[in-house]
Amino acid sequence: MEQQQLAVQRFFLKIFLKRGSFLLPLPQPSSPLYFGNFTILYFATATSFTGKNIESLPAPLSLRKLGDVLEERYKGIREGVLGHSLVTINLAYVDVPEEGEDDVIIQEGDEVAIIPPVSSG
Amino acid sequence: MTTQDQVNPPPPEGESFISLPGIYVSLTDLPLDILSIMDKVRSPEAGAIVTFAGTTRNNFASKPVTSLTYTSYRPLALQTLSSIASSLLTKHALRGIAIVHRLGTVPIGEESILIAVSSAHRKAAWLAGEEALEECKEKLEVWKREEFEDGGVWRANRDGHQGAEVKEGSKGE
Repeated sequence: MEQQQLAVQRFFLKIFLKRGSFLLPLPQPSSPLYFGNFTILYFATATSFTGKNIESLPAPLSLRKLGDVLEERYKGIREGVLGHSLVTINLAYVDVPEEGEDDVIIQEGDEVAIIPPVSSG
Repeated sequence: MTTQDQVNPPPPEGESFISLPGIYVSLTDLPLDILSIMDKVRSPEAGAIVTFAGTTRNNFASKPVTSLTYTSYRPLALQTLSSIASSLLTKHALRGIAIVHRLGTVPIGEESILIAVSSAHRKAAWLAGEEALEECKEKLEVWKREEFEDGGVWRANRDGHQGAEVKEGSKGE
């Protein structure tokens, strides 16, 4: 019980320190492993390859390193899936930066998704 | 019951939707109904309603398909549907546009997507209807899995080819 209270206090302290306010909206923590993690969602071929729909990975993480982190966990995913997939962070598509371009940092609580080629209709 | 309730009855279970003036888009686990989507775009100012129904085929390149399942990244797909609908509404001066995609297992021969557009004159509705489908095929975050007698594949609209084959051994960590 005490531990839970401490966690709640730490939660609000972090928001305050990061944003200087409690009033700004924060992404929904969709994972129990919210602290120090971001959520990554897999669809279609990415689900088949990882055997998962969702998992938590340590944050912050540079977007440029995301491919390395996933390749280390799921050997062959870069060529098999990531090479022809797009990435979203909090429902917005992001370009994975090339060498020399400004990097994007995936933050704690972010929702990242791997979007393979779509097949609606 | 107020007039507003009669115009917009509550959506059935298993359906997520965005409803804006002239726009209705949704993703649903339930069978699709062409009449209810036509009613979403019906307008006394319209002289035409064009509808499109995409149905599930029983084969891919003459290989028999035993079942089809659609999955989606729902919040992103709804956002994409809404942006496709809103840009076509403006571009073709439509009276209304509605797009509904079914998710989960869809039996062979049933509708997986319905599009309805209404406009003052027929030409705009024909054009917008076709564009709406092409935009969905290209962008909508929905994935189709086709099951064959000897296994399944994730389809990709982009190249008409099946998605990358996944070896059993590479699953999991």
